[in-house]
Amino acid sequence: MDPTTYTNQPVALAALPDIRELETVPISPRYRILNLLTWAAIMLGLCLILSALRFQPWFTPPEPFILAYPVAIGIIISVGLVNLVYHWLADPLIRYAVREQDLVLQRGLFFRVLVCQPILRVQHIELKRGPLERLAGLARLQVFSAGGSAHTFEVPGLTPRRAAQLRQFILDHKELDAR
Amino acid sequence: MSTVNTETRPAEGANTSQVDNGDSWRRLSPVSIVYFTTSNLKKLAQFLIYVVPALAVSANVLDLQNSPYTVPVLILVLTGLSLSGVVSYLFYRFRVHDQHVEIRDGVFHRRHVNLPFWRIQNVKIEQPLYYRPMQFALVVLDTAGSAEEEARIVAVPHAYAQQLRKQVLAWHQSPATPAQHETAVTSSTPVSEPGEEVLNRRSIGDLVIHGITNNRVWILLGAAAPFYDTISTRAAEWLGARGLQLGQLAGEQTFAWWQLTLYVISFVTIIMAIIALLSVGGALLTFYDYTLSRHHDRYIRRSGLLNKQEVSMRHSRIQLVRAKQDWLDMLLKRVNLYFEQNTSTAQQHADLMSPNKLLVPSVTVAETRELVEQAMPDSRMYQKEYEGISLRYLMHWLGVWIWPPTILALSALVFLQVWDAAAILLTLSLVISGLLWLRWWRWGVACDKRYMYVRSGRLGVDYQCFELYKAQQVTVVQSVLMARAGVATLKVVLASGQVTVPFLPVTTANRLANILLDSAERSRKSWM
Repeated sequence: MDPTTYTNQPVALAALPDIRELETVPISPRYRILNLLTWAAIMLGLCLILSALRFQPWFTPPEPFILAYPVAIGIIISVGLVNLVYHWLADPLIRYAVREQDLVLQRGLFFRVLVCQPILRVQHIELKRGPLERLAGLARLQVFSAGGSAHTFEVPGLTPRRAAQLRQFILDHKELDAR
Repeated sequence: MSTVNTETRPAEGANTSQVDNGDSWRRLSPVSIVYFTTSNLKKLAQFLIYVVPALAVSANVLDLQNSPYTVPVLILVLTGLSLSGVVSYLFYRFRVHDQHVEIRDGVFHRRHVNLPFWRIQNVKIEQPLYYRPMQFALVVLDTAGSAEEEARIVAVPHAYAQQLRKQVLAWHQSPATPAQHETAVTSSTPVSEPGEEVLNRRSIGDLVIHGITNNRVWILLGAAAPFYDTISTRAAEWLGARGLQLGQLAGEQTFAWWQLTLYVISFVTIIMAIIALLSVGGALLTFYDYTLSRHHDRYIRRSGLLNKQEVSMRHSRIQLVRAKQDWLDMLLKRVNLYFEQNTSTAQQHADLMSPNKLLVPSVTVAETRELVEQAMPDSRMYQKEYEGISLRYLMHWLGVWIWPPTILALSALVFLQVWDAAAILLTLSLVISGLLWLRWWRWGVACDKRYMYVRSGRLGVDYQCFELYKAQQVTVVQSVLMARAGVATLKVVLASGQVTVPFLPVTTANRLANILLDSAERSRKSWM
């Protein structure tokens, strides 16, 4: 580091921008619908497959399977319900904000997480759209920093237009330096 | 730093001719055949470890020992191996041209690596034992990208390797700080360069201490993997000769408890002694003749008994300084000091050797202060008043995770009158509570205009210090209960990994988050 350009001016703490006092925007409500539908479909699909095997007319299923059947259905339905309730409650809590210098994401039902990603530290950006997301007209923005892939900053459930806007905003940031 | 030869860029160009070989591709020196053969052998050995069971079974089934094909096949495999070295050598070409390193290699799977100097993160120079008489070296060029993009120039004269390293690193220096451009260009001696200042040396005594305080067994164990079986047989024989028979222990039903205790104690002592010895051996193997020196803006680490390694790291690449003291280190007043840089792509297994974590093994506290002062000027890691984490941390762990289940289990045990189990459970919970209390007591954070400091540990102490602007991402986490109690966990992601401070008062967590973000965004400085 270059000692000549380094300055060490005192900073007034009260004057610092505060991440807590920030207007955030919710992500698209379709994200919650997509998650709820996906989980409902998974739940129903698994139940249907098991039931079809259990009650098909061609052969009698083995004894252990018959015994395990109600338990398995119970587990599937309870796991599915927990996920449905979770997404019902948690997805609307995902909110984001963009400041001049950073991106902020809030999420979490039990653990309220507030992530802040300085744009200066962004290494590259990805816009992801899985098949289901394409179907729902949603996109996901992934922002990678040098902190490694475990700490990828991800905003889910964006409209493709908004995602592209955000991407362009980050790319246009004049301080963004790929090297 | 004794001498600083300041040179401008054109002058460096004259020097380029020594390294740059224009359009022509260059072959390695023939010593590389040895390297290729040994590395192919290593690969085969690693592969064989998985195949051995299958081979053993098929050997029994097909009666391979008596088959007339066994010997010729073995001979074929061995000649194939030695030939493979020659073939790899023949297929390997490289050139350094126009600020790029290009390598073409591979027999069946051809590969062309083209690495521009600016993408090279680290330059590592290795000297295996068989390279040393002829003064050859292996140059490993690391990029910030994936491990597969790593380039190895397998065998070049040591002087050339030094020259190449200097050029690559000089490139990094010149565009960033043109005013301060300084490259010492003189004939390079293999050991050290002019203008280089040795910061620290480790004597054999230090390394013995390091071996005892740190478990470096796996260095030897990893190398000795094929010999496990022989070792365990020998060990059993040796123990048997000393009158300790494991078979007897299990077989005999009627021996007094004190006999058993004695056996256990002597056995544990023997095992511990062996482990300590192995660990000292491992430490000597990696860190023998350790020197840490500084040449302008980079740190150079040289060490190794059989395989001499030289790792350079630019000062500005240091993300975090960590001074780690385990309980044994506390007793002996030693510190393991790590200079950590970008580890997001590092392979974890090469931990000690990796240039991503430059380790200064078992230095004294005074030396640590000096080295930290060098790396992070004006930092006050040891002097700072640390703001402790909230008592809620302790309450959370003891009140939710430790004591409710313990009390439940205890009452059940007492009800059933299983006193010994109850006693063991109680002691265990008390010990864990004590450790948690220590953890709570140690964990603290401090911050000044330029650095953030985190102290943690249980029996030992672990200090971390980093420059505020190097933060990559900042996260504040609060559970619902934590929000009610007014505490929050702060997570700072650096290029070297994540630093976590749990259960800080929410005002402190937010204040620190804001300061970190502000200095990262305001400084405009690159984290590299």
